[in-house]
Amino acid sequence: MTTPTAMVSHLSKSFGAVRAVEDVSFEVYPGEIFGLLGPNGAGKTTSIRMMLDIFTPDRGEISVLGGKMDEAKKNRIGYLPEERGLYKDLKLEPTLIFMARLKGLSDAEVKRRLPDWLKRLDLYDHRHKKIQELSKGMQQKAQVIATLLHEPDLVVIDEAFSGLDPVNTRLVEVIIREQQAAGKTIIMSTHQMHQVEALCNRIALINKGNTVLYGEVDQIKRNFAGNAVTITGQGDFLNVPGVLEARQVNGDWHLSLASGASPQDVLRTLTARDGIKIERFEIAEPSLDDIFIWTVQGRQEPDHA
Amino acid sequence: MRNVFLIIKHEISTTLRKRSFWLTTFLLPAAILALSLGSQVLARSSIAAGGSNPLLGGALSANKPIGYVDAAGVIEQIPEPPKSDNPLQATGPLQEYSTEAAAQAALDREEISKYYLVPADFIQTGDLLVVDSNFSVFNSLENNGYFEYVLRLNLVKDANLAEMLADPTAEVETQGLAPQGVKKDDGFDSFGVPFAVLMIFYFVITMTSGFMLQSVSSEKENRTIEVLLLSMRPRDLMLGKILGLGVIALLQIVVWGGAMLVFGGVSLGGLNELGLPEGFFVWALLYFVFGYLVYASLLGALGALAPSTREGTQFTFLIMLPLFVPMMLNSALIQTPNGGLTTFLSLFPLTSPVTMITRLAAGNVPFEQLLLGLVVLVITTYGIVVFSARFFRADTLLSFNALNLKRLLQEIRR
Repeated sequence: MTTPTAMVSHLSKSFGAVRAVEDVSFEVYPGEIFGLLGPNGAGKTTSIRMMLDIFTPDRGEISVLGGKMDEAKKNRIGYLPEERGLYKDLKLEPTLIFMARLKGLSDAEVKRRLPDWLKRLDLYDHRHKKIQELSKGMQQKAQVIATLLHEPDLVVIDEAFSGLDPVNTRLVEVIIREQQAAGKTIIMSTHQMHQVEALCNRIALINKGNTVLYGEVDQIKRNFAGNAVTITGQGDFLNVPGVLEARQVNGDWHLSLASGASPQDVLRTLTARDGIKIERFEIAEPSLDDIFIWTVQGRQEPDHA
Repeated sequence: MRNVFLIIKHEISTTLRKRSFWLTTFLLPAAILALSLGSQVLARSSIAAGGSNPLLGGALSANKPIGYVDAAGVIEQIPEPPKSDNPLQATGPLQEYSTEAAAQAALDREEISKYYLVPADFIQTGDLLVVDSNFSVFNSLENNGYFEYVLRLNLVKDANLAEMLADPTAEVETQGLAPQGVKKDDGFDSFGVPFAVLMIFYFVITMTSGFMLQSVSSEKENRTIEVLLLSMRPRDLMLGKILGLGVIALLQIVVWGGAMLVFGGVSLGGLNELGLPEGFFVWALLYFVFGYLVYASLLGALGALAPSTREGTQFTFLIMLPLFVPMMLNSALIQTPNGGLTTFLSLFPLTSPVTMITRLAAGNVPFEQLLLGLVVLVITTYGIVVFSARFFRADTLLSFNALNLKRLLQEIRR
């Protein structure tokens, strides 16, 4: 089996009386884009900070880039924190040079690489501006450059797409895919499920300081299939026993099932109803959004899956 | 270590790019220069214009004759009036009048600038009356010494004795008990130099320590700290900042020290004339460096603890309070450099960086006290740097909880 690029096992961390992380474990393998999901305050950022040796865990094991973190390894990591970390009152270019030099690049190497990045992200003409004069999206793109300029092997991104318009979101997506294609490992912490579905191979969902869901995205979706059905037909699909919510999507009915209710029970109930005509009945593959909400709200994946 | 140097360089270049740094570094001495020179220029221009300057008012009547009525009959000989390029020093010849009415009439006709009335009982009472047509506080600067000299000469009948009576302690040299050199007892050296030293030390330590607070808390506020912590240990960050801003502090010392010399009209070669004791600059450098380390570390710790620059600034006064004490007591320190209070403040480590050097500039400090003060300061510095470094850790730097006593105690206990 391939050695994971990053491995955290049973991490826990408290701040005074507050337990920020209780039991978080996951492994991230070379060349994959790994999604770290969870509601606000779930312990994602604290877990990332422990993994990156910014915080010391109270308990648990961490291995990054083949072992314990050291100063040399820190130069092989690119970190884009959720809260933007740039000097607002300094100019863009010297700030990026300083950041990259802290990551071990020589002055000459930074100056060789930087113009291409600035041009690609449409910041070249703004390089002499103070960061506070840049728009939020521009600052975000500058932060992306600061994260990747030193060509790290492990990239950790907390909310990469915050503040970006659709064009720049697409651009950053492309850049993330390029990094993956170049063999880099990417850990993405985000709330935006469609991006996770589009980019991530595997995910870990953290809730209340615990890893509550972990594995391949497709497998997790399969595991949760059966919690919803899609129906094409005519008639009244409301107020069906065992259905939590029924809503129409593009002419089809989407029924979310209550815990313990099976698609077969619902089908049986519907066929017994007068005035119902069913043209198609399909067990729906849930979106990650649904899975996120179900998991966070305490609903389990179905037993049969 | 490479990153510590990068932080040092970053702190220096960032601070040098700040407009506030250049304003405070050059504007303050320039303001002092403008104030001190400006007033002199104004006074001189007024004098040159014969007192017609409306700002200062009053007329200087430099070379008009001065009248006198000698009812006591003491004035028998009148020496030549002194010649001087300075209108304040110049004076006109004396003109005798037999009666007060005649003198008054001459004054009314503006033939004389004023007249003295020496009453018949002058020898017994010493009373003297001067009648000036245009008296003002500023005019009182005019030289009255000529008539006084004429009186002295006529009383003692000896020119040398009359000179000596004017200022019997004109050429005093102060020889200290400690062998640290001879000091000339004039205004600038005895008060101006120690006061300037006190001001420079106080302002430079306060300002550069303030930069430390600003630097740490702004990195917290703009979240740069999280990125930096992935590149270096928190305490290396603290070290880099303290050293970088230390260089800035030394630069300010040079600028302000240079400004002080310019104000004092002292060239580099003429430093010895300031009457500073031997080894002054070495002691000053040592006390300054350790004083800076104490306050920069404390304000750095404050920056690490406070959730924002604004909240941090609210506590600055408490930390800088000990440094403020010698500023408030500046006259007492300079006038009694070896008094009990001054000695205590110069040995107490939180006040010694400013007080000891001011004291050294004001008078002679026994070598043992200089050494003792420095040893206490070095030990305290070590303790404070270690204490402050406790707060330079990721948990604290990434915390945005409000700063209060409860939190401070929690952080200390961690």
